Amino acid sequence: MTRSPQARPELRKERRRLTAGEVAVMAVLAVLVLAVSFPVLYALLNSFRSYAEITKDPMGLPTGLGLDNYVRLFQTTDYGEALLNTLVITGGTLVLLLAIVPMAAWGIERLGGRSSRWIYLLFIAGLMIPFQVRMIPLVSSMNQVGLYSTLTSVILVHLGGAASFGILLYCSFIKGVPREVEEAAEVDGAGRLRTFWSIVFPMLLPVTSAFVIIQALSLWNDFFIPLVFLDASSAGTINVALSRMVGLLTSQWELIYTGAILAIVPSVVLFAAFQRYFIKGMSIGAVKG
Amino acid sequence: MTASTAERPAALAGGRARPAPDRRPARRMTRHRAVMLLFIAPALLVYTVMVIAPSIQSIQLSLTDWDGINPAYEYVGLANYRDILTSDRFWNATRNTLVLGLGSAVIVNAVALGVALMLDKLHHAQGFFRTIVYLPALVSGFIAATIWKYMLNFNFGAVNTVLRDLGFEGAAMDWLGDNEIVVGVLLFIICFTLGGNTTLIYLANLQSVPQDLVEAARIDGASRGQVFRYVTWPMLAGAVTVNMTLMMIAGWTIFDQVMVLTAGGPGFVSETMAFFIYKVGFGEYRAGYGSAAAIVLFIVVLATTVLANRYMRSREVQA
Repeated sequence: MTRSPQARPELRKERRRLTAGEVAVMAVLAVLVLAVSFPVLYALLNSFRSYAEITKDPMGLPTGLGLDNYVRLFQTTDYGEALLNTLVITGGTLVLLLAIVPMAAWGIERLGGRSSRWIYLLFIAGLMIPFQVRMIPLVSSMNQVGLYSTLTSVILVHLGGAASFGILLYCSFIKGVPREVEEAAEVDGAGRLRTFWSIVFPMLLPVTSAFVIIQALSLWNDFFIPLVFLDASSAGTINVALSRMVGLLTSQWELIYTGAILAIVPSVVLFAAFQRYFIKGMSIGAVKG
Repeated sequence: MTASTAERPAALAGGRARPAPDRRPARRMTRHRAVMLLFIAPALLVYTVMVIAPSIQSIQLSLTDWDGINPAYEYVGLANYRDILTSDRFWNATRNTLVLGLGSAVIVNAVALGVALMLDKLHHAQGFFRTIVYLPALVSGFIAATIWKYMLNFNFGAVNTVLRDLGFEGAAMDWLGDNEIVVGVLLFIICFTLGGNTTLIYLANLQSVPQDLVEAARIDGASRGQVFRYVTWPMLAGAVTVNMTLMMIAGWTIFDQVMVLTAGGPGFVSETMAFFIYKVGFGEYRAGYGSAAAIVLFIVVLATTVLANRYMRSREVQA
């Protein structure tokens, strides 16, 4: 799918000079990015202003870079706890997904035969089941077993939802992994579980990095599932906490802008740290998905 | 692992048959299968309990008058489905879902393709521009909608302030409270992006268009427009179908923006199907009715996926 720059030899020839057309394209792209980023930049600027300043002059610029709003967000609202909840949900779901999905995909591919095909299709069918379809029975079941409004319930619901995509991604990758390596390991006498974690799992690293990045972002950004499964007894996730602040009659605009900016920061950090995997992973994931 | 099944696994192993005069390899294969099933078990269990079972239970609940709280309920047959299909509110939600889902799929794909074509033209700093074009996609729909909600505030919002400052007093509107424009405003906010992943997929596909084809067409005297129409566009067919399908399926469940910006209002004007299910199921204590609406949504998503897949296959055969 993605091709390396070397695949286009003519690229190097044209690298010599910058044409006017290229400069124009760069300018257009830069303007587009600025335009689309405007809401975020606006929120960022207003996170340094007070409520009075924002409502008196909505288009004004901050007079300083005071962090009052950031401090007050943690002191006067549940945002800190919500941030922690979001971290636990994202991290917990990712760890559990990695514990069960790659192993299951390997099992499906190495099981072979008709039953393997059926199990695979059963998992893939989940891609066509919107969350809304299973939402109402899940809430009542979680209530019955006493898990409603716990982080555990959110993690469990996420696990089920992400399993289908994970199986799809891993199975298509494992098809290209030769059996010889694992067979050699088995002859050596390693148990299958050990063979999997010490030999197979490291070979799956490319697909694991794509899977982790895609899931981390979508878990962090999710709003609907925690909205449904966490009631007022929990601080919620950052998105849920923000939506509650928006719902208040006396909503504090400056704190909402601040909370929105803080919600974006981890995604940007993740992106900056794993940029190369990110763009490759997104292309793999989206095409396969 | 009984003797009667001992031969089967060997046959299932396909073309990898080894000379196996005695039954030992066969038994080994059976053990192999048992271990593999154990590997699958945890994920299958979670998936069954969290996805398959509740989905089936939804079908059952859709035939009842359950309120979502009281343990007692009665079966009402297909009454919920009849009520839904004759409800103006449901059809309005369906129309909004189509406008927002299909509309955003078309618009975002067009924008993403345009951006990808521009990126493909760059021979300098392409990596840098690809990165900054992707950056806006890091902001979730929820966060973007939250910021927009305040920017669109009638009195103190950025949009109306700018309009008033520029002297267009009459153009300042109650963007999210006006029946006539609210769905259009939602569509605008959903489409206010450079495509993110969609752009990356188009760019990857553009870069795999063979350059000798393009050059051959140019030598034959084709204009830029003709090259795009007859060389590049057909090569992109697969990517267009994939992107449109992905966005349409996501479009059927648009929820976050509606919840944040309008909560379905004014009245029920801007509800989508996903929001409708959420609202009747939890807000109005009609869990049976909500389940029926969810099953209708499932049927629609299933039909979209199957049709899109069939269409995609037919295009691939031609290509």
